[in-house]
Amino acid sequence: MSRIRRFTLAQRLFHLLLMLSFMTQAATGLGRMYIETKWGSLVASFFGGYELSLTIHKWVGLFMLSLLGAHIIYVLATIEWRGFPRRLLGPDSLLPHKDDLKQALGHLGWMLGLAPLPRLDRWTYWEKFDYWAVFWGLFILGGTGLLLFNPVASSRLLPGWGLNVTLWVHRIEAALAMAHIFVIHFFIGHLRRENFPMDLVMFEGSVDRAKLSHERPAWVERLQREGRLEDLQTLPKPFPWRAAYYIFGYAAMIACLFLFVGALAYSRLVTW
Amino acid sequence: MIRIGCRGCLSWCLLVAVGLGFFFWPPEATAQEEVASALRRYKDREASTGYYEEYEVRPRRQRPLVGVPGVARGSFPYSPSAAAVRITTRLADSHRGVQFYYNRRCQDCHPQQARDYHTTRGKLTCRQCHGGEPIASIQHYYSPLNPIRRHAYVCAKCHQGASTSFASYVVHEPSPAALETRRSFPVLFYAFWIMVALAGGTFLVFLPHTVLWGLRELLARRRKHGE
Repeated sequence: MSRIRRFTLAQRLFHLLLMLSFMTQAATGLGRMYIETKWGSLVASFFGGYELSLTIHKWVGLFMLSLLGAHIIYVLATIEWRGFPRRLLGPDSLLPHKDDLKQALGHLGWMLGLAPLPRLDRWTYWEKFDYWAVFWGLFILGGTGLLLFNPVASSRLLPGWGLNVTLWVHRIEAALAMAHIFVIHFFIGHLRRENFPMDLVMFEGSVDRAKLSHERPAWVERLQREGRLEDLQTLPKPFPWRAAYYIFGYAAMIACLFLFVGALAYSRLVTW
Repeated sequence: MIRIGCRGCLSWCLLVAVGLGFFFWPPEATAQEEVASALRRYKDREASTGYYEEYEVRPRRQRPLVGVPGVARGSFPYSPSAAAVRITTRLADSHRGVQFYYNRRCQDCHPQQARDYHTTRGKLTCRQCHGGEPIASIQHYYSPLNPIRRHAYVCAKCHQGASTSFASYVVHEPSPAALETRRSFPVLFYAFWIMVALAGGTFLVFLPHTVLWGLRELLARRRKHGE
């Protein structure tokens, strides 16, 4: 059973670190915001309570911003500069392309039973959206978070009443990010029938060739045409690794759903 | 000559009597009112003495329409019972004249003001910022919360280095979603609704997309990979 490599070790590490830090931010932020409720104090107690949750939230936030910086450096280092920007406009790039709109509409047509499945390439439109949503989220959450890091200092840059606004922007953007990850990303990534019970590709790095040529036929054909398909072939990871991926992935998903359901259920008991 | 002299004397006496009478004659009372308007009565007498509505003759039923800058735009009916519109932002004792004041708690009358994070999370009491009795109006010259000294007298007690800018943080934050906030804190109102529109727009696209996709895959006939 041959497998094709989709993600390098560096890319998987970025995802793992982003995932762990995002979950920490979600838990410390929600625990603090919901501290008046039993659920909130339970969540915060995992991080040492109300005060320590904020300290962790601030430093993990700085870590996420440095992760963003590291990722930008990584992207600049891996961009194919020869013949710039030809490769950036091609199908191997994560930049939005006019074909994405066509594929999104085609995919919608397939969902309604009106059209065949669009022939997707390396990056699909929903993956590109997820990728850029992290930038957008990190800029809004990181920017407001930096302003809230030390309110006394930041009130020199903006009037103090701006911090009221900043906190609300931070909250709503965080709620959007969490709901998107905990509902849409998890469902598309793992819970829909094609991927159920779990798509290991972001942990294992490789995907089954038959599955790939169903999922992304345009990419597989392109690789075959360019003769690069053989270079990307790898072996499946041994069983203990795969078991660890399942356990870790499900632990993360259950923890996130616990946060999501708790946040919804207890939202009426919080003083806003 | 005497007669003339006597008559002259009499007329002089009458003139003096009328002249003195001018000073001692009681003033004319218009409809038994002590004051011309309820607002003037409030400013001249009630605010300074603390005694409200203690008049032998009740004012007329028809109230004059007055506008007070900073309290209400245009004109509004002022009435002694409409305590909400009284100008209480510049008093040395902002609760002057409130009935049964010492039997009440702050949040009995200010429930919304007791719902901010300084009160609910920071466990501050109202008086720790607003000062002891008598609690001055925040615009009163000697109030610790007067914006000219709020940062130093109040905020800096916990937030070391607080500036006047820092002190403009709105502790009793209005609900950002409320339509009323569009007037009192427009930046908060618009920022809130723009962010909600952004989040709502994202879900408006991706939720139906995800649900449809899930249903389509669920209902599809089982198929082998690679077909």
